[in-house]
Amino acid sequence: MSLAIPNGLDNTVERPGERAPLVLGDTTYHDITEAVCQVAERKPSVTWWLGFLVSFILLQWFGFCIAYLLYTGVGVWGNRNPVFWGWPIVNFVFWVGIGHAGTLISAILYLFRQEWRTSINRAAEAMTIFAVACAGTFPGIHVGRAWLAFWLAPYPSLNLWMWPQFRSPLLWDVFAVSTYGTVSLLFWYMGMVPDLATFRDRSKNKWRRMAYGILALGWSGSSRHWMRYEKAYALLAAFAAPLVLSVHTIVSFDFAVSQVPGWHTTIFPPYFVAGAIFSGFAMVLTLMIPARTILGLEKLITLRHLENMCKIILATGSIVGLAYGTEFFIAWYGQVEAEKFAFVNRALGPYWWAYWIMVTCNVISPQLFWFKKIRSTPWIIVVVCIFVNIGMWFERFVITITSLSRDYLPSAWAYFSPTWVDWSMLIGSFGLFFTLFLLFCRLLPIINMAETKATLAKQYHMSHDHAAGEGH
Amino acid sequence: MSQDKDKIVKGIVAEFETVDTLMDACRTVRDSGYKKTDAFTPFPVHGIDTALGIKPTILPWLCLFGGMAGTGTAIAMQWWMNGIDYKYIISGKPFVSFPAFMPVAFELTILFASFAAFFGMWALNKLPRYSNPMFTDPRFDRVTDDRFFLYIDATDEKYNFAEVEKLMGDAGSAYIQPVVEDDSPKQVPRFIFMVWMLVAGLSAIPLLAVLKMRLTRSELPRFHVFFDMDFSPAKDAQHATTLFADSRTMRDDVEGTIYRGQYSEEIVSGKKVAASATVDDLRFVSRFDDEALSAAGGDRDPGGLSDEAKVELDADKKDPDNKESDQKDSAGSDAGNAGSASPDSGDAGAQPPIPDDQWLSEIPLTVDRAFIEKGKEQFNIYCAVCHGRNGSGQGLVHERARKILSQWWVPPSSLHQKSLYRDKYPDGKMFGTITYGVRKMPGYAAQIKVQDRWAIVAYIRALQETRRGSLDDVPADLRADIESAKLEAEARLKEEAEKQKKKDNATEAQK
Repeated sequence: MSLAIPNGLDNTVERPGERAPLVLGDTTYHDITEAVCQVAERKPSVTWWLGFLVSFILLQWFGFCIAYLLYTGVGVWGNRNPVFWGWPIVNFVFWVGIGHAGTLISAILYLFRQEWRTSINRAAEAMTIFAVACAGTFPGIHVGRAWLAFWLAPYPSLNLWMWPQFRSPLLWDVFAVSTYGTVSLLFWYMGMVPDLATFRDRSKNKWRRMAYGILALGWSGSSRHWMRYEKAYALLAAFAAPLVLSVHTIVSFDFAVSQVPGWHTTIFPPYFVAGAIFSGFAMVLTLMIPARTILGLEKLITLRHLENMCKIILATGSIVGLAYGTEFFIAWYGQVEAEKFAFVNRALGPYWWAYWIMVTCNVISPQLFWFKKIRSTPWIIVVVCIFVNIGMWFERFVITITSLSRDYLPSAWAYFSPTWVDWSMLIGSFGLFFTLFLLFCRLLPIINMAETKATLAKQYHMSHDHAAGEGH
Repeated sequence: MSQDKDKIVKGIVAEFETVDTLMDACRTVRDSGYKKTDAFTPFPVHGIDTALGIKPTILPWLCLFGGMAGTGTAIAMQWWMNGIDYKYIISGKPFVSFPAFMPVAFELTILFASFAAFFGMWALNKLPRYSNPMFTDPRFDRVTDDRFFLYIDATDEKYNFAEVEKLMGDAGSAYIQPVVEDDSPKQVPRFIFMVWMLVAGLSAIPLLAVLKMRLTRSELPRFHVFFDMDFSPAKDAQHATTLFADSRTMRDDVEGTIYRGQYSEEIVSGKKVAASATVDDLRFVSRFDDEALSAAGGDRDPGGLSDEAKVELDADKKDPDNKESDQKDSAGSDAGNAGSASPDSGDAGAQPPIPDDQWLSEIPLTVDRAFIEKGKEQFNIYCAVCHGRNGSGQGLVHERARKILSQWWVPPSSLHQKSLYRDKYPDGKMFGTITYGVRKMPGYAAQIKVQDRWAIVAYIRALQETRRGSLDDVPADLRADIESAKLEAEARLKEEAEKQKKKDNATEAQK
């Protein structure tokens, strides 16, 4: 059973009265299985080994830095009076933001029946979980005595005899991020079970079969199972959608509920959420474009997928740009001296360079996506997305550092300088992220085969009807 | 299949190549009256539920209850933890603060509902189930790839192998097989069990070590996994150090260090220690220690609060000392009074004022030019607003009070009255007045440092000298300067007087 797609590899052209195909070429169900499984089944390529080696070394370096930090104390960071939040929190917010795209693609696009999500959602969800793992590391080690980080949890302690303070946004954050991590993991794993069953059934090796067999929970593809599974998937999507929005909202409360000028603004929740989606999509594209080429998945992750994501980046990037402008407007309109100063200081103060890197990368660079040529040229997309990622890191840097370094008390003002440990941890967290991602590429189904096949079935069904219609 | 003959047949399965043929087969099977059927597909096929007659799931209800349990848990937890069991005040929010409890309630609602969806789905599907008769057929492996299977259970009322085989064949299936029981060994292989035991045993070692340490007695020091702050890097007195060239940890005080007790009580209180070392005088050392004072039987009257009422009360009292001192001079109801008698204890038991000879008669610190300059600076900051920069009692606040005809204004004393000279008003008493206040004047102990208060006393003495001293008091080499300054000032005054006169004449002429 094969199926010819008339317009070859360019499915970005809209054809009136027709849905653009999302699976290209003479692709069958079995081709999808082959295309996805070969990524994990064949011997890893040299590129993979190189990438893994570099990532793994960075991960070890990250581990060493954490050990050094725990042994020596938080003084190894550049966090000094008055900037006690420094890079660890910048990195935390950056990674949590990255982690928003996965669940957004899985949940919100699912609820809106955006079928193009099917071939990218798995990798995006995996990316979410790895990003949340990176994010979770930073507040964990930032608490000072990291071995007591479990004090964040409301557990009946016989030593402390006290409970956490539930009126603090920092505690809401603990609940939000851990709930988000947990639900994302459930969602990811549940979505993966039918594909793990595919891996199981294709395994030649006894051990492999056993390992995937255990993970696949005995999935047989029964229609009754599928029915409940789909219901559960829809429900989880419905729960995860508001959850995605709540997580970065609550992260923004960490800032907005305080009194620090430049933080104490009601625009933060929508502004943070838009920024999170923006950075998350940029990261998905940064990873997916090389992956689709190296792993030979162009027929499943098509230009149309990339183009759609570029459009979302363009939309959210414009929201972020609007938010920057609104912040300045409100600072002027509100006529609060400290607030006005905070924003002038952001743009023209000692961190002007960070501010303008942020504006260039976040506001100007995504505007290139107005041009279709740019939206459909993968290597340009990657370049723009890397700029967006840099810009979003700087956004968090600007918000955290500039506001803290100059708040109400001029005698306490100071310039923040990162140490080598700060740098190492930022780079090392990428090591953790990429190590996990590369392992994921090798060990787990990186594209949702079952859903892609369902999309193909629908596509086949439609073209079948179409052909039948023409026949009459 | 011959090798399957002796096994129990669980049902029959037929393979299909496309969704459409499977759907047609499902409808045929349903219409033929089969009930215990199931289809197996590599992806969810829409419409197969109705084609097979599958009932909807109760999963959404489970999620609803899960979500409600989450909300309830979160609210109850926060209510009890922050509102009942462990209350503490945070930025003026109520202990039970629902707006602040919402985020956690929201998160737990989502979390519990998601758990319900996830675990509920697996439970309803009776998964994980690793031994499944369907898996005995190697061809069934393609169900997760690209083949579709329809299954009819042997327990179905209408089940009959030949009939079903024909039905499936007609529906387009080229592969129809009985499903036999899974007779593979149910036991977990021994080596897996061994590995599991080994891992469990090894991972129990740290736990057991911790338990042993917690539950048994030992004379050794506590084992520190993390040092926390148990070991101070500070050196003991006789230790050597590498931080300083002389290797000594004991260092001299940093210049300007004030150690406890450096200021003697005389300096702090302004009184002679021998004469005043009674418990009552604790108030000079620890003004805010009410308990100590009441134990000593003396009521404390914070300097800043002695007001009009108190002056009146003092005046009413028949105590001749008070009366006398009140009448003697305007600054009379002095520190001694202010300190000992209080408005609400104006009885005979009130302590007599401290006699002048118990005050220090002289400033107990070295008085030099810098000291007096310091006093000048402090005087001009704190005292001059009322007493005037020249000490005449004509400060700006006083002028203002007169201008608005304030009825409650008690004029500040001129510091040039004879009753305030050193012979009548010892330096210690002046210090006490600054420290504890008098009448409307509040005490300045909180604003001005001890040394600076003495410096102010020195400066006041200098101011007083300006009105009563003579040229003989000035060192010989400076007299010429004074003379010339005096002449200059006189000339200027004269000039100004003439100007004024001219002006007056001019005004008169105009009239």
